[in-house]
Amino acid sequence: MDTCIQKIRELAADLLERGEVEKVIGFAQGTIPMATSPISVGTKQGVDNLVFNSTCGLNLANFASRQKGKIAIIAKGCDCRNIVTHIVENQLQRDQVYIIGVPCNGMVNKFKIAALFEDEITGFAEDGDTLTVSSSSQTKTLKKQEYLRENCLLCTHKNPVLYDVLAGDLVKEQVLENAFPDVDKIEAMDVDGRWQYFKRLTQNCIRCYACRNACPICYCPTCFVDEAGPQWVGKGQNKTDVDTFHFLRAFHCAGRCTDCGACVEACPMGINVRDFTRKLNKDALELFGWEAGLDISKRPPLDAYSPQDPDDFIK
Amino acid sequence: MGNLLEHMGVERDRVHFSWISSAEATKFVDVVKEISEKVRALGPNKKFVKDYN
Amino acid sequence: MADKDIKIVSFLCNWCSYGAADLAGVSRMEYPADIRVIRIPCSGRMSPKFILSAFREGADAVWVSG
Repeated sequence: MDTCIQKIRELAADLLERGEVEKVIGFAQGTIPMATSPISVGTKQGVDNLVFNSTCGLNLANFASRQKGKIAIIAKGCDCRNIVTHIVENQLQRDQVYIIGVPCNGMVNKFKIAALFEDEITGFAEDGDTLTVSSSSQTKTLKKQEYLRENCLLCTHKNPVLYDVLAGDLVKEQVLENAFPDVDKIEAMDVDGRWQYFKRLTQNCIRCYACRNACPICYCPTCFVDEAGPQWVGKGQNKTDVDTFHFLRAFHCAGRCTDCGACVEACPMGINVRDFTRKLNKDALELFGWEAGLDISKRPPLDAYSPQDPDDFIK
Repeated sequence: MGNLLEHMGVERDRVHFSWISSAEATKFVDVVKEISEKVRALGPNKKFVKDYN
Repeated sequence: MADKDIKIVSFLCNWCSYGAADLAGVSRMEYPADIRVIRIPCSGRMSPKFILSAFREGADAVWVSG
């Protein structure tokens, strides 16, 4: 990825110098190893702060809309699909954004790597497919492929779908026999088993709403959980409230979620929030043949009516 | 909606959708009967109910 | 018997099912008394929040009808 970041910095510096964009949105190194944070760069000198590695798991499409002036954005395959979603949903005009597409080989699962160490991780470096992670007591060399996030393992759109310029060579897309093994596993359980599964899944939720804030398609000015009159969902740790929040949040993402994994990445409690949205993605694909964010000229299935829409649930 | 609720472990027959014109009183009665029977078969709902205590 | 306490929260469109319910009433048709009707101006007013709210407050089932 070294060559890729050089190219990103060159492109960003060039765009800023020519005044084509007012700022470039990308990733910067975080304050601890294996962490990156979003950054907005407005000067040519600032581009050296930009990084791109296997820990850039957040989704920058979050910052694409509601900006003044034209911006450039560094976009992985999934970020790109979310920018497309923003354009389709009129949050953003195509000419307001300059997309620097980055073909992506997946992001690493930080929880999985942290679990290998007893003490705090102090160093993280990567070279191609090899990761070198160190703590104060030991250093481990890991294969990146074995520590990818679950959504990256199942990703079939690694290359950006819409871009102005590419910062690297396109990578080979994987073809999956079954794109939804995790959903099938839950579907195979009986009704009470599923209820218990989700009960265990959400029992650690602290309602910090990090998943909502990290989600690029959760851009409502007032989220339903913050509405006070009527109050749809309580503020506390009550199980029903927690489930209501997760259920409704997932449902608001129906036919829009690109499975970018930002919600899981942001969750401090390690909850696999994707278990909710994945089912809706599967339904969108099976019922409407739809995958979100692939084409700026197509309306999403829940937004458009077609006489062929499935209606077997209506009596 | 029904699909995700079912996925989460709420029984399918707890959510119903129908389309009845204002002239179809008989269909209305039939649907009420059908839903009532299905829900009675399931018994009272215990999931997604907020416990205020 | 527990069966008697079943509550089905029904969201009926003012112009369609609510009219049908009205007609069923004036025609003196008999149907189970398990439903609790909420009139909505149109089934387009329906929201997933309503369904979950109904369950949260103890509904045994929810019925949406246009």
